[in-house]
Amino acid sequence: MKRRSKGKGKRRTRTMGLTGLTMVFAFLCFLLLFVKTGDLTAAAMAVGLSAAVWLITAVIGGVFPSDRLLLSLTLFLCCVGIVILYRFDSGRGLTQTLNFLLGVGCMAVCILFVKYARKWSFFAPVIMAGSLGLLLLPVLFGHETNGAKNWISLAGVTFQPSEAVKLALLCVLAYFLSRRKLILSGIYAGSCLIILMLQKDLGTALIYYGVTLIMMYVSTGSVTLVGIGLAGGAGGAVFGYHEFAHVRRRVAIWLNPWADPAGDGYQIVQGLIAMANGGAWGTGLGLGNASTIPYYYNDFAFSIILNEFGGIFGLLVLGLYLAVVLRGLMIAHRAETVFDTLLAVGCSAQIGLQTFVIVGGNIKLIPLTGVTLPLISYGGTSLLSSLCVIGLLQGVAARVEAGVRRDRTLAGLDGEGGAGT
Amino acid sequence: MRGNIRRVIPLMCVLFLLLGAWGAGNLAVNGRRWFSFSSNAYARQMKKEVTEGAVLDTRGVVLASTFGEERVYHSDERVRRATVHVLGDRDGNVANGVESFMSYYLYGFDQPFGEEVRSVLYGTGRRGSDVCLTVDSALSANILGWFPADKKGAVIVMNYRTGAVLAECSFPNFDPADVTVSVKTDPGQPFFNRAVQGMYAPGSTFKIITLTAMLENFPDALDRRYLCDGQLTVGGHLITDAGTDLERQVVTRHGDLGLERAFRVSCNNTFARAALELSDRRLRAEAEKFGYNYNFLFRDMVVENSSYPSDNRTDREVAMTGIGQSALLCTPMQVLLSACAAANDGAVMEPRLLQSVVAPDGKETVSFTSAVFRRVMDEATARTVREQMYQAVVSGTGTRAAVPGHRICGKTGSAEIDGRENTNAWFVGFIDEENAPYAVVVLVEDAGGGGSVAAPVAGQIFRYLLGE
Repeated sequence: MKRRSKGKGKRRTRTMGLTGLTMVFAFLCFLLLFVKTGDLTAAAMAVGLSAAVWLITAVIGGVFPSDRLLLSLTLFLCCVGIVILYRFDSGRGLTQTLNFLLGVGCMAVCILFVKYARKWSFFAPVIMAGSLGLLLLPVLFGHETNGAKNWISLAGVTFQPSEAVKLALLCVLAYFLSRRKLILSGIYAGSCLIILMLQKDLGTALIYYGVTLIMMYVSTGSVTLVGIGLAGGAGGAVFGYHEFAHVRRRVAIWLNPWADPAGDGYQIVQGLIAMANGGAWGTGLGLGNASTIPYYYNDFAFSIILNEFGGIFGLLVLGLYLAVVLRGLMIAHRAETVFDTLLAVGCSAQIGLQTFVIVGGNIKLIPLTGVTLPLISYGGTSLLSSLCVIGLLQGVAARVEAGVRRDRTLAGLDGEGGAGT
Repeated sequence: MRGNIRRVIPLMCVLFLLLGAWGAGNLAVNGRRWFSFSSNAYARQMKKEVTEGAVLDTRGVVLASTFGEERVYHSDERVRRATVHVLGDRDGNVANGVESFMSYYLYGFDQPFGEEVRSVLYGTGRRGSDVCLTVDSALSANILGWFPADKKGAVIVMNYRTGAVLAECSFPNFDPADVTVSVKTDPGQPFFNRAVQGMYAPGSTFKIITLTAMLENFPDALDRRYLCDGQLTVGGHLITDAGTDLERQVVTRHGDLGLERAFRVSCNNTFARAALELSDRRLRAEAEKFGYNYNFLFRDMVVENSSYPSDNRTDREVAMTGIGQSALLCTPMQVLLSACAAANDGAVMEPRLLQSVVAPDGKETVSFTSAVFRRVMDEATARTVREQMYQAVVSGTGTRAAVPGHRICGKTGSAEIDGRENTNAWFVGFIDEENAPYAVVVLVEDAGGGGSVAAPVAGQIFRYLLGE
């Protein structure tokens, strides 16, 4: 008993440290913005946001036996996003804060859903049908933004169905793959990909593709299958390059954005300049002028962070994303059922690949596609879906925790001196 | 299944390491270039907060410095005009001059982070670093006098062993101390830096590349015989040689000759046929080795990309390309680099302007390093091309560039331009001596033959460089 509580206490202190750091970070950043502009809302945010972080850690961490480290990392990344968005446009910052609070609510729902849902044999087909329908909506009724037709308006609210379908894909694939229904999973993922290609939403398609491949590999361990998948993907990429002018244009801009720095390449060129202005240490919060980048608040969230906080901070942020991914994979490793494992692997891969695709686009490692930086970029649907993915991971973690507790009780360790383990 | 997860972990780590390494590397290598890009609003904002450093030439002559709010240039108008295109101006009228392209140093971005903190703490204003260039302002001012009056064009002088640029002049020029409205509206475009931005047909100077391609592709190239009867028809188009005037029935004929004599007398007939023997594929490959169709990313300057036309090459176009006409376009810098390849045993050095950067405390933070841009031919080929260029100056088209008692190599060019009466005059060459490793390119627009107009200018420069 003694030993267990001691161990738990230690872990709590460690993650409390990270939570405390997040609170201090949010408080200081907003304090600085308050001092600089005299804007009282910033002062309120300084107190409010750090209080919210503390409250969320206490409530989510206390009520649900979830993974505290993952929670702390998530909150920190969200705070970075809110700070940088508020600094450029207080309206966007406040909207992002509201979406963040809403997202935390959704995260809690997801935790409960994964923890207590039993009727997956009923849920999975329903989600599958619903998600395909949802994904088709923009093709039929959607409107085109920035070359991709992936938005729909419903009662004045616009949203991106592909973000919601992300969650569906994770759940449905995890369920069918755990039932060894490989072909059905393949058909489902394939149809999603084709619809996304029709919408010209290439970045999201790339992420779906990668997630599907990784989940299939983990469930079967078959290198042949991965090989077929990679060959198919390469074939699709070549086909896309030859058939679609917008794909060729993206690639051309990627290869040399300086060929037309005031036109086609403008966004990337301004993004690169913003990073160069930041250098290693950044221009300082509130001192940069990266808002010259079109869509800086979602496509180029990483660049504006580098602009004001600097390259070293950027590396730190990448490190934190990697920590989230690795923590997710650890949860998958400890999960008890095949479904839980696959779900956790899918969620981790989803966050990892999405970060890779957008950051890679920002730093000109790969062609730029308009996906968002998870947890940081501006955008309701995006932030909500990222937090839900974290929620699914937390749900699996909660089940692991519950399993550990059950085993301990069964083994009679809980009440005794706590030998072993 | 757990084992499979363990294999996903390294995959994710590799992806993120790739992001970090690429991002940091790209920023470290290209960050300065991105910062210096003219549309960087942040750099313009910095000018209000930092006292710009000075720009000095290779002997320490101050070309530009800041007193209070004012940017002050050299006292001699000739020096101001001769260096204005290298320096550029503060308002960015001249694209990518030192004043904007090296703003990273001039505004002190190379200084350590502590410097910034200290200047804030002590309330002393921030001061940028001084930039010392490889440019020789005295030579540049002299070139101003040697270049034909009222003509447009460009001159570049470079050390072919190190890549250090000694002079880069563009004509017409203007006085940075007195930028009037008439300068801005001048149809001659004095802001335009013709040395690195102007796109021209290389004319016969391209024969250096055609000759190299022949030597590299055919071991028997020098033994091949050609018969020049003065008129070669390719694809319905007549190719003639300099001096031919069909209306007056004057035809220049070279008779039976090999590549060596053809290069010396600059025989179009022979080189057009050589290009056809090479075919478009080999000739393009050679030109691309020399830097055509390549996106130059030199550290100290922005050089416009030269282009070798890419599609649907007819025989006529290939033949014309062999003698540097057709749709070929290049900068004087590109022409200079092709001669430097022959001069420097096949290795083209990256052209450099930056000699050193000196921080306000007197510490040198950056010093000159030379780098090979490309190795385009082997030493034996370079020796052969060099010998042909020597012969061209001794007894060919470039005799007026010769300096008695010295080994001068060169190639002339007279590029025909549609709609102009006179040809563009080219001369590119170098001193083939270890104690004076200098290469020169001279371009005079709309002026006549390379041998009669451009070569004498180069001759003056060679004499100055040799101290005669």
